[in-house]
Amino acid sequence: MKCKVCKAEAVVALPSHNTAFCPDCYDRFFMKQVSEGIRKRKLLEADDKVLVALSGGKDSLGLMYALAELGYNVTGLHIDLGIFDSSKKARSVVEDFCADKGYPLKVVALEQEGTPMPLIKKHINRPICSVCGKFKRHYFNKVALEDGYTALATGHNLDDEVARLFANTLRWDQAYLSDQGPLLPAENGFAKKVKPLFRVSEFETANFSFLKGIPYHHLPCPYSTGASFTGHKMIWRNQEIRSPGSKRAFYGGFLERGQPAFAAIHNKKKEYEVVPCTKCGCPTSVGICGVCRIREQLDEALAAEPK
Amino acid sequence: MVKVILQPEEEIVTFTKINTAMQLLNKYNLHYTDALVIRDGELLTQDRKINKDDEIILRKVVSVG
Ligand SMILES: [Zn+2]
Ligand SMILES: [Zn+2]
Repeated sequence: MKCKVCKAEAVVALPSHNTAFCPDCYDRFFMKQVSEGIRKRKLLEADDKVLVALSGGKDSLGLMYALAELGYNVTGLHIDLGIFDSSKKARSVVEDFCADKGYPLKVVALEQEGTPMPLIKKHINRPICSVCGKFKRHYFNKVALEDGYTALATGHNLDDEVARLFANTLRWDQAYLSDQGPLLPAENGFAKKVKPLFRVSEFETANFSFLKGIPYHHLPCPYSTGASFTGHKMIWRNQEIRSPGSKRAFYGGFLERGQPAFAAIHNKKKEYEVVPCTKCGCPTSVGICGVCRIREQLDEALAAEPK
Repeated sequence: MVKVILQPEEEIVTFTKINTAMQLLNKYNLHYTDALVIRDGELLTQDRKINKDDEIILRKVVSVG
């Protein structure tokens, strides 16, 4: 198979764009998808100070690399969840990557915060994935605001966004549908959140990171049991194979026509007020934020343990 | 023998004969957008020939969790 642009040997074939690329032309294609996505949805300004959430997977590391290549001022943030070897491996992948490329990196270790995920899993009777997500979002936002970053970027790709949109649509969840998209502007004590990879699929980010020689890790979380999105991702995988371009059309159509309609409904009724958490100062609508409440529960559970 | 390393499981399987990357993907019920086919650090599109002593990494891309 030949590259559709320059006729060299192709290394990536993309049915969704009915094309194939050699490494150099693929690099240009991918970077253009990212830069056009940023420009069209106004995700970032040239002078934004961007904090990039780095898990160590292909998407987050590829995102960091692409944003740095585009000339953005980027700093990585890794949350070390303290989940045995899995977290050690993820952290060293992120640290090596940033050291190698010369990117600044911040690390928050939940072990040091007194809340490693295994301890929480042992003592708090709640789905660990939702608690983990809560902690990650909490620290992403906290570090972004405290250290003066103007945007928080995450590596969510088109497949993640389609699966989430689909789940929200199955429930016709107005609040989530009004908020979903690659841009959440700063408001109420939350930093601006952006997803610059929203136009590229998981396959596309995997190819990009591989071709850029980024040594990402690809281990699933040991606590993950297959996660709720996997089923939806499978439905969309099959749909995309039958009808290439479906994912882009579904998500793009939502951004153009669906999201504005839901945002109009949503803006009318914001009943709750967002105020700083009385313990940690992070924004919440319920007095003490979710993370501080879990901390309290954990302290109680640990105090009640026989010594 | 063609040696195949399936990731992320790190499962190693050998096949007596595989002609193309597409045939290999088919063995695992994978579409060519489900996995990277890697030989000697290079990516192969589905039409590429596979030789009898090749070592191939088949890296599935769908992330779980
Ligand atoms: Zn080319
Ligand atoms: Zn709090």
